[in-house]
Amino acid sequence: MGLIYLNTLAHGRSGDKGDTSNVCVFSRDPGDYEFLKRVLTPERVKEYFGDMVRGEVIRYDVDSLCGMNFVMKQALGGGATHSLRLDSLGKSMGSAFMRMKVDTEW
Amino acid sequence: MKKVSIGGGQGFWGDSPDAAIHMVRHGSLNYMACDYLAELTLSIMQRQKLKNPRAGYARDFIQLMDEIGQEAWEKNIRILTNAGGMNILGAVDALREMAHGKGLQGYRIGYVTGDDLLDRIPQMIADGCTFENMDGAGDFNEIKDKLVNANVYYGREPLMECLSGGADVVVTGRASDSALFLAPLAYEFGWEDGDWDNLARGIMAGHLLECGGQGSGGNFQYDWRSVPRMDELGFPIAELTQDSFHITKAPDCGGLISEQSCKEQFLYEVHDPANYITPDVTVDISRATITNDGPDRVRIGGIRGKERPEKLKLCLGYHAGYKVVTYLSFAWPDAYEKAQYAADILMKKMKRKGMQYEDLRIDYLGLNALHLNVAEVDEELIQRMNEVVLRIAVRTREKRDAQLLIPEISPLQLNGPPGASFFGGRAHVTDVIGLWPTLIPRDAVKLESHIVEVD
Repeated sequence: MGLIYLNTLAHGRSGDKGDTSNVCVFSRDPGDYEFLKRVLTPERVKEYFGDMVRGEVIRYDVDSLCGMNFVMKQALGGGATHSLRLDSLGKSMGSAFMRMKVDTEW
Repeated sequence: MKKVSIGGGQGFWGDSPDAAIHMVRHGSLNYMACDYLAELTLSIMQRQKLKNPRAGYARDFIQLMDEIGQEAWEKNIRILTNAGGMNILGAVDALREMAHGKGLQGYRIGYVTGDDLLDRIPQMIADGCTFENMDGAGDFNEIKDKLVNANVYYGREPLMECLSGGADVVVTGRASDSALFLAPLAYEFGWEDGDWDNLARGIMAGHLLECGGQGSGGNFQYDWRSVPRMDELGFPIAELTQDSFHITKAPDCGGLISEQSCKEQFLYEVHDPANYITPDVTVDISRATITNDGPDRVRIGGIRGKERPEKLKLCLGYHAGYKVVTYLSFAWPDAYEKAQYAADILMKKMKRKGMQYEDLRIDYLGLNALHLNVAEVDEELIQRMNEVVLRIAVRTREKRDAQLLIPEISPLQLNGPPGASFFGGRAHVTDVIGLWPTLIPRDAVKLESHIVEVD
């Protein structure tokens, strides 16, 4: 299949605490979970977001739910109140995450 | 076996009352809890209260109770809420007046005071409290004279005291969202400190319910098209026994309860799943399970708990300057190029007028204002754009700097590139409130539970 949007294989939701964005990502099919764990490294996610995420990216795995929780610091332009972003709460960080392209032949 | 059923009636201040009304009428509940407070809400309420001493709480809750308070009382559905915000007594008075007006003699309103520590900050500084920022940024000395509010997040105990005292409704300020749900469960099942696994189950029931519709098919990325009747979206209901935990919803409403809808809410805003810290218990959901158990019914398992944290979280709001956001729209041809040119004109004017700012953003709505640098933008897309909205946002230290931008926007309809249209009304300067989360010792906090009876 080659490069596909993560959205095809995963779903999730984004939330915020101050300037930290939190995106949870679940495998749509449990069979893809190990693949997703391989490709969605914190380094890769940090690189993908570039300037949008200025702090560290931490990944927590919840294998029993085929899910991962990404905590991304300094990711909302200063947080709900300081942020000048249209989406200061990062509600669309989840869908931004899902448009990452992953290589299924990796 | 004893079963307790609790509904999540509100996800935030400003949420629709429809689902709460429906679940009281049709949900066979024992309890309903309504969360109104997000991170910034108390700072906003404090400013409302400074302008009007009778304001500063979620008035929506009184309207909701006007609609279903009597029916809930008659059905013995007890209601808990943090709608008291920065003016708990104001909310209690309004509730009492409403209940009295409906002739609900004997209706018992419980409330909890003591989370507002603003007046005690100077003493706490003198006592050696350093208020280090939990996120590790900044110097407290720079904000200590600019404080707007200071509220501590607390757990279930004072709410349980109100329930023990026979409260039909419990009104709090900054009780933690999930404590509104844990309190009735711990009260009914007799869970105490040390019974960490059960306390953690109660917290996660709250966590799945405290965002209202987001736990029942709202904001559902997995497959939003599959959610039935979103116009009548029901909110989630938790059913617990000593050894089972289900999420469901009321009959005859829209929405969806499924493995995936619960999953998306389950990890929402949880940082480390093995150490989700609440005032009552440190929750471990790193081995949790979520499984379908019939139509619109999901079973939650594998939740564990650990010792509660030693300290409590105090959230300080402080004045952090001013902000203005303005919009101008442009249509084909050259929509994007014209919008960029308008931004350039405004920036030159602001520079000439000497505007000082701390932060500035120029965005193009319809192109990349949400996904920013991960949006896919190419020349062909730009050429074909039917329309785009220029958005300029500025944060300043002084109010007059933010004001400089406002009168320059609408003239660009006549003085700038063709087809500019003023969008969203005349802008105004708003205060920026910063948040400063910190940890304080439990014994610095004296919470008090009270009950008043309606005569």
